[in-house]
Amino acid sequence: MDQQALKELLYKMADDQLIMGHRNSEWTGFGPLLEEDIAFSSMAQDKIGHSLAMYNMLQELGEQDPDTVAFTRNANQFHNCQLTELPNGEYDFSLIRHFLFDTAEAIRFEMLTQSSYEPLAQVAAKIRGELRYHTMHAQTWIKQLGSATEESISRLQKSLEYALPFSLGIFERSPFEDKLIADRIFEGEAALEKKWKAKVEELIGQTQLRLPSWESLTPVVGGREGKHTEHLQPLLDEMSEVFKIDPTAEW
Amino acid sequence: MYGGGNTFEGIKPDALAGEDPIKLAEFEAKIDRGEKIEPTDWMPQLYRKQLIRMIEQHGHSEIIGALPEGTWITRAPGFKRKMSLMAKVQDEVGHAQLLYSAAETLGKSREQMIDDLINGKSKYSNIFNYPTFTWADCCFISWLVDAGAIVNQLANAKGSYGPYCRALDRICAEESFHLKYGHHCVIYLAAGTLKQRQMFQEALNRWWPPMMHFFGPSDKISVHTEVLMKWKVKMGSNDDMRNQFLDMYVPKIKELGFTIPDPKLKKNTDTGRWEYTEPDWEEFKRVINGDGPCNKERLEVRRIAEERGKWVREALRAPKAQYVTPLA
Amino acid sequence: MTLFTSMNSLDPRVNRLPIDKVANSSPKAALDQFGTFEVFVQAKEGKPFQHEGIVHAPNIEMAYVLAKETFTRRFTCISIYVTDTRSVHVSAMTEGTNNAYENINDSGASEPKTSYEIYHLLKRGKQHIHVGSVTAGSPDEAMWRAKASLAGEKQVFNIWAIRTDDIRFTTTEDKDLWLTLPEKKFRDASDYKGGDKLKAFLESVNK
Repeated sequence: MDQQALKELLYKMADDQLIMGHRNSEWTGFGPLLEEDIAFSSMAQDKIGHSLAMYNMLQELGEQDPDTVAFTRNANQFHNCQLTELPNGEYDFSLIRHFLFDTAEAIRFEMLTQSSYEPLAQVAAKIRGELRYHTMHAQTWIKQLGSATEESISRLQKSLEYALPFSLGIFERSPFEDKLIADRIFEGEAALEKKWKAKVEELIGQTQLRLPSWESLTPVVGGREGKHTEHLQPLLDEMSEVFKIDPTAEW
Repeated sequence: MYGGGNTFEGIKPDALAGEDPIKLAEFEAKIDRGEKIEPTDWMPQLYRKQLIRMIEQHGHSEIIGALPEGTWITRAPGFKRKMSLMAKVQDEVGHAQLLYSAAETLGKSREQMIDDLINGKSKYSNIFNYPTFTWADCCFISWLVDAGAIVNQLANAKGSYGPYCRALDRICAEESFHLKYGHHCVIYLAAGTLKQRQMFQEALNRWWPPMMHFFGPSDKISVHTEVLMKWKVKMGSNDDMRNQFLDMYVPKIKELGFTIPDPKLKKNTDTGRWEYTEPDWEEFKRVINGDGPCNKERLEVRRIAEERGKWVREALRAPKAQYVTPLA
Repeated sequence: MTLFTSMNSLDPRVNRLPIDKVANSSPKAALDQFGTFEVFVQAKEGKPFQHEGIVHAPNIEMAYVLAKETFTRRFTCISIYVTDTRSVHVSAMTEGTNNAYENINDSGASEPKTSYEIYHLLKRGKQHIHVGSVTAGSPDEAMWRAKASLAGEKQVFNIWAIRTDDIRFTTTEDKDLWLTLPEKKFRDASDYKGGDKLKAFLESVNK
């Protein structure tokens, strides 16, 4: 098994989940309805939990401990896709991003239940219920708001068009695709992207939202190799503000 | 998170004048027997009014209480703290959800309650109008403000109104996590570096006066609430609650080597009561009436949250539907 | 209310709020917070469903989604269900030693028959608990039939009847939703044992 390929996969998944969870936690206390505030916070917590599980695996593979990895790296050392680091904007964007990201996440982990890397397959099997909730939540909201009022439809439409090129960045190919596939660690980003597109088409098709043709979109890539928007470094600075008062201290 | 203090206004001597004496006697007998009052039961207007006021204020205190700790939600140090603080602030929102629901069974809609919070008509616990300057302030709240709230809530959970008791049973179970989490954070600061210890000592210095305010004005200057005590709406005097809190937590704070910023604070072994510098009740009144360090921000943040969420709710609202009061 | 031009808050999240883009507030419209749905939770296999509270939601599907995290994000849960508050038929509440079933009389049978779920309140201040189901042509008939088949020995203070078809149940596939619930220890007091750290600290101070 190619360790470097495996680590690269784990890092990008972990970084996605950490940054997504962090962003979504910014809504806690500010949500549109008390019940939704609670639900959105739970999913943010789940995401942080998932990233911790990935960083723990990385530690087993010889990387540094999760706190050091998460709280001391700079933006150019992060491998999350740029979709996750974008500011929350209004709830329409946060919901659309959640929908696009978690649709991919659920398929990715379903595929990973077959991974030849046993610890990853185990985690994937375990968190399927959480991801089921995340997609159920996202789909219920998108279906309902995507067919409700003129305002809700146009807001979601605008956010969808903005988010889609970034969401294609989720599937930015790694230099290790062939190795991961050959070692049966992961079926690869191309296979995931194909399934994701079909699912997104199916779900958006159930709403009054319009999906632009995939060919018309230019994927925003670079995140997987450490290229980020201007939003990531401030996010990391904020996240590690207390931690960096004394990184050797126990908090 | 909630203290007792600001809940009750004076009761007019004729407050029960219009009530049917037979029904009133049956109502009081039921409370005396230890049976809870349920939403469809007959109840005196004063009981309904005071309960709505108390439960609503409690709910407001939770949703506003999410803000000072929420100040640190994106900055919690390390995975463990990050997840815990997210879950803790989430619980405060959840408590507001439970409490507003309980108040709703008495006939005030959630819409009205949120409106009254935002327009300043309803009050909430004063302590959340103070700022959290550092991570240690956040830890102070998680541990000691929640500890104070538990003293109050455990007492209130023995009150007479069924839906409020059910909400409080659930809330108290969750608060045990808050308390342990908060104490855990403070132990780590205490056992940590000089800088960490300083951070908490400074937080303690800042938060002690509002903490003493938390349980409300001293009994000497409080309004008379005998009938509310009899009806098990108010479950203990402000001074009793404060005394109970000091009994439980002064030793724990001292154990960690921190100095409580009140040279007069000591337990009178003869009376079993704590003695302390009289809290500044003028400041308490000023802050309640809107002139605290963060009142404006807290309400403005809530207002903005409601406004930003409006299109979401409006899209799915069914304006012609018939509203019915929830059951329990 | 004065609008802030800049919040200058200690909370970076607050400083990012789009203050200048938020309109002045007007009082909330009716049902801005939606209607309510009653939430029932099954804690363990073999245990009855118990009423836990309400959620505000625009419809039953959303109520189900929102109820899950509002009421089952800690402790144990294997299943939940929700129903519109308007779908719950409620008996008169009794007190003292009066049994709620004493007030339930034969109101006559009607057709077509359908299934109803029946709930009892056994103690004031506690929750309504599911006790079984009956087949009846109306809610009143359902309570009458429950009196015959479900009343039991214990005193009942209040009875609820809900048409089974009015309930959004957890499907078999949804059972996975609570798969990791027992592992969410970070939401439990038991995960915050500071005793050893405290002891070590006290020993170091006393040296």
